[in-house]
Order: sequence, then C-alpha cells, then structure tokens
Amino acid sequence: MGMFTSINTAASGLTAQRLRQDVISNNIANATTTRTPDGGPFRRSRVILQPRVNQPYWKSPFTPNRLDNGVGQGVRVVEVQEDYDSDPRLVWDPEHPDAIKTGARAGYVEMPNVNIVNEMVDMISASRSYEANIAVVNGAKSMFQQAINIAR
Amino acid sequence: MFLNNSFGQTLDIMQRSMDVSMLRQDVIADNIANADTPNFKRSTINFESQLNAALASENAPRPMQAAMTHERHISFSRPVDYRSVQPQRQLDYLTTADNNGNNVDIEVESMNFLNNQLLYSLMTNSVTQQFQRVNLVVRG
Repeated sequence: MGMFTSINTAASGLTAQRLRQDVISNNIANATTTRTPDGGPFRRSRVILQPRVNQPYWKSPFTPNRLDNGVGQGVRVVEVQEDYDSDPRLVWDPEHPDAIKTGARAGYVEMPNVNIVNEMVDMISASRSYEANIAVVNGAKSMFQQAINIAR
Repeated sequence: MFLNNSFGQTLDIMQRSMDVSMLRQDVIADNIANADTPNFKRSTINFESQLNAALASENAPRPMQAAMTHERHISFSRPVDYRSVQPQRQLDYLTTADNNGNNVDIEVESMNFLNNQLLYSLMTNSVTQQFQRVNLVVRG
C-alpha cells in the first residue's frame, strides 16, 4: 500500500463518474437519432462498474487472512454496454424517411430507447458522486500537508 | 530510544493512531469511489476500542495476585500489550441501502471522513506540541 492510495482511489472514482457523465450526455444528444451504422435506431449506452480489488464477499464481517486481497483500490469501468433489454419507442410519423414501410407497424418510426427523465436522474447521481470524490482528494491533500507540518 | 518512559509511549500510541487514520482514509475513499457499484458492500476499520481495552488491561487493578512459585504458573489477569493490537477491516455485509445491492451512504461516509481528518489533525498537533515541550526543557 503506497502513500497516496486514497488519492489514487478517489481518482479512479473521478474517472468512472466522468465517463458516466460522458455516456449520459451522448444518450441525451442522440435521444431522437433514428439512423445508425448498425441499422435501426440509436440504443442507449450504460456504464458497468466493478470494484478494482475483486474480493469475494464472505457472509462474515472478517475475511479469512489468507483469502484477503487487501484494502480496496477504487472502482473500474468494465464496459460501456448498449442497452438491448428495452424496445425502441414507436412514434407515428409516416412521412419520416426511416418509417417502417410494410407489416403491422407500417407508418411508425423506431425512436431510441432513451428516457430523458432517467438520464437526468443518472446525471445528477454521477455529478454528486464526482463531488464526493473531489472532497476525498481535498481531505487527503490536507492530511498529507499536516503530516509534513509535524516536522516544522 | 524513548520507549521505556511515558514520553516514548505517548509518541508510539499517537504514531499508531495516525497510521490507522491513514488506513481508514483509504477504506473510506474506496467506499466513496464505489458508491455506484452494484452489489458493493462497505468496509470499516475497527481499532480504537481494542486499543482502549489493551491500555485499560495494563492499568487494571489486581485485587488478587496468584502465588507463582513455578515458571509455568499462570497469573490471574494477563495484560494485553497495546503494541500487539492490529487494525481490523470489517465488512458490513448484512445491510442494503440501495436497490442495486450497494450499502454505501455518501453522507455517513463523508461524516466518517471528516471525523477521521480531524482526528489526524489532532494527532499531528499533539505530536508537534510533544516535541515543543522537549524543546522547552532542552533550551531552558
């Protein structure tokens, strides 16, 4: 364990929350995108997070010493995943160039599965977490400063 | 060097306390960084109560002394050396605060962080004052 572990830990949180913010803003910007290189409407992306030290959880407050991977080192982004779990929103607009031409759903346009309200809530959550990590960095900084001041 | 007198012991205890503060800060930073990670469980550091118990056991009154006439006799009360007390990491695995299985409460963690920071500040100031007193004696 190094001296600046807590700052590195908080920095990993900052990176992850910043990425979440980027992904959310991309989702909101593409809330009405109907045409993508893959075909079909835009799909919302979501960020999958994981603790950086992968510690199996035991049903006990104390981990056995030999299986203990040490103090956690922060958070890691595993992947940015496209959400295929929810269906695209259907909007009636027969004149739209991407409207469905044939079948039961003819005349409807497939819109992205982005829900603006959910994205806004996620955005606030990400920005609050970012602030909390900033507070940790500042606190750690002042503690190191105090440690230096012992010798003065 | 000073370990045999109360000056050295005080310094030693304060140094241990500061070490634990640093460790606790790492744990709290990890909790806060993982505030949005699904199924993450928060950890805490348990140290002060055990240090307290160890220090109390050294000064505990001994109403009865065992008559130890043989080297393998065992005394009635065995004081715990405070230097053998190690900080323990405790996993709070029973509670859930969020519907993604996470139990990190940002407010609680922030308060713990602030407490820890103030404790560290108190310790550093105490160490400085401890040495200032020595300076006073040396310079007269």
